[in-house]
Amino acid sequence: MLSIYKKELQSFFYTPFAYILAALFMFLFTYMFNTGIGDMESNVYEFSFAGIFYNVIFYFIFLVPIITMRTFADERKFGTEVLLMTSPVNVAQIVLGKFLANITVFLFMILGSTLFPIVTAIKGEVVVSQLVCAYIGFFCWGAMYIAIGMLISSFTENSIIAAIVGEIVMFAFLFVDDFAQTGFIAQYPKLHSALYAFAAQPRFEYFSQGFIRLSDIVFFASAIIVALVWNYISLEKRRWNKG
Amino acid sequence: MITIDKLTKFYGNNLAVNNISFTINDNEILGFLGPNGAGKSTTMNMISGFLPMSGGSVEICGVDVSKDPVKAKSNIGYLPEIPPVYPDMRVREYLSFCAGLKRIPYGKRSDEIERVMKLLNITDVQKKLIKNLSKGYKQRVGFAQALLGDPKFLILDEPTVGLDPNQVMEVRNIIKSLKKDHSVIFSSHILSEVSEVCDRVVIINKGVIKAIDTIENLEASVGGSTILHIKIKGDRSRAAAVIENTQGVAEITAIDAEGNDFFAFTVSTKDDADTVRSAIMSELLARKIQITEIFTEKPNLESVFTRLINSESEKKGIDALWDEVGGQPSPLELNKDDFDGKEGEE
Repeated sequence: MLSIYKKELQSFFYTPFAYILAALFMFLFTYMFNTGIGDMESNVYEFSFAGIFYNVIFYFIFLVPIITMRTFADERKFGTEVLLMTSPVNVAQIVLGKFLANITVFLFMILGSTLFPIVTAIKGEVVVSQLVCAYIGFFCWGAMYIAIGMLISSFTENSIIAAIVGEIVMFAFLFVDDFAQTGFIAQYPKLHSALYAFAAQPRFEYFSQGFIRLSDIVFFASAIIVALVWNYISLEKRRWNKG
Repeated sequence: MITIDKLTKFYGNNLAVNNISFTINDNEILGFLGPNGAGKSTTMNMISGFLPMSGGSVEICGVDVSKDPVKAKSNIGYLPEIPPVYPDMRVREYLSFCAGLKRIPYGKRSDEIERVMKLLNITDVQKKLIKNLSKGYKQRVGFAQALLGDPKFLILDEPTVGLDPNQVMEVRNIIKSLKKDHSVIFSSHILSEVSEVCDRVVIINKGVIKAIDTIENLEASVGGSTILHIKIKGDRSRAAAVIENTQGVAEITAIDAEGNDFFAFTVSTKDDADTVRSAIMSELLARKIQITEIFTEKPNLESVFTRLINSESEKKGIDALWDEVGGQPSPLELNKDDFDGKEGEE
């Protein structure tokens, strides 16, 4: 597992890939931060880091699939899947190794954003508990998206398709609660609550307000586990279907 | 020892490998032969544990591949048809990744990588990106990967494809040298390669084993019918009659018109080829038919292979053979008695 993890990290960090992603993320975060500061003048708007995270999550939809699109699609394309499958490692180790590597890249990506609260804390005041909770929520959400993106990557051998489908699915996850609240869906309470159960946004809201609720942690953790187990099944199934 | 028992593979409703069983002994090179689409790669993929089997079992050193895959796989090195290399990695990086995958202890990795790189002559490209290497080098990097960790069994799917003649010789020699402490299963469609390198051969067609034997036995099994090639100038009908009536000749299997007046006969013999050859020569010369070429073709793997694979194709009679070279010759004028008493004369 460790060697797969290491190899995946090499493929991100020995190429400009991870750095460009981190730079892009920093650019987005800086942009949000600046507009946030600019809006402080108006009394209606209350500046908070959680608010920035909220905005940044929207851009996740474009960033996370770029991390995950190659995960399994490229293995299949280059025929290196055979190498992994015929080595003395089991599929679960392959999936976990790759998942951890993607998480590491994600952490590297958001690492730069900690600069802003630090500077703010020096010059002003930061509600640390709220900030930490927001980061935890942010991380959970990202990890869930990574697990989903990997799953989608295991369905195809074309990384571009994996990225586009990933964007669509992540978009759906982001707006499922808005969709559930539309008048049409709200007519059917059961459908409404079923859709609402998939919504990540209200759960993130608790995090950003400084709450860590067990149910939210369980939500993200179970989403990750379901996606990873499905990933495992998808890889195994692909071998059975080959031909 | 690898034991393959009643191995079967379905792709949907399509039966790719049908109930095949054989064993690979220790320190043996086993050739795996068959035309395209015969099920060679599928079988190798199943032995290596990449593809699950629809039926049957593969045991590597007594460990069932489907029951304890991790343990079984630690005894094999597999080079698939397309070398499984990452284009964006450097050769050394790639091999060190593979060494990790194969769980070679950290301290031994570097020595092991040096060893396989030296063996396959890729030490001088170790810092290059794999995507910039030629096909032959990629193939060798893939081969190096299979050798890492010195696995007991090597499964090589067409390892010499895409190599230049020198490299082909090198790879063959490597395979031969591996025999000392490895077993190798080795698929190829180059028959001369198989007969040079392998101890035993499995011939497979349409998912069914047609033959498993040593090369000597297979060649002997084509029977005593050695093939003679005779090229003559002049009267073809007379020549045909003479050849057909010489003692020891089984039949004329092919006639080719070559140029204006030249005809090449392919003759299968019943008796010892050398005796028959000299008998035919003296008969033809006695009838003033010029022989421009005569040679004996030893039965080889190629003829075994073609015979086994095309076992369904029908035999042609001599009339059909004449038709192919432009019609029947004039009726035979020769009396069969003419030949009597001349046998054995030289």
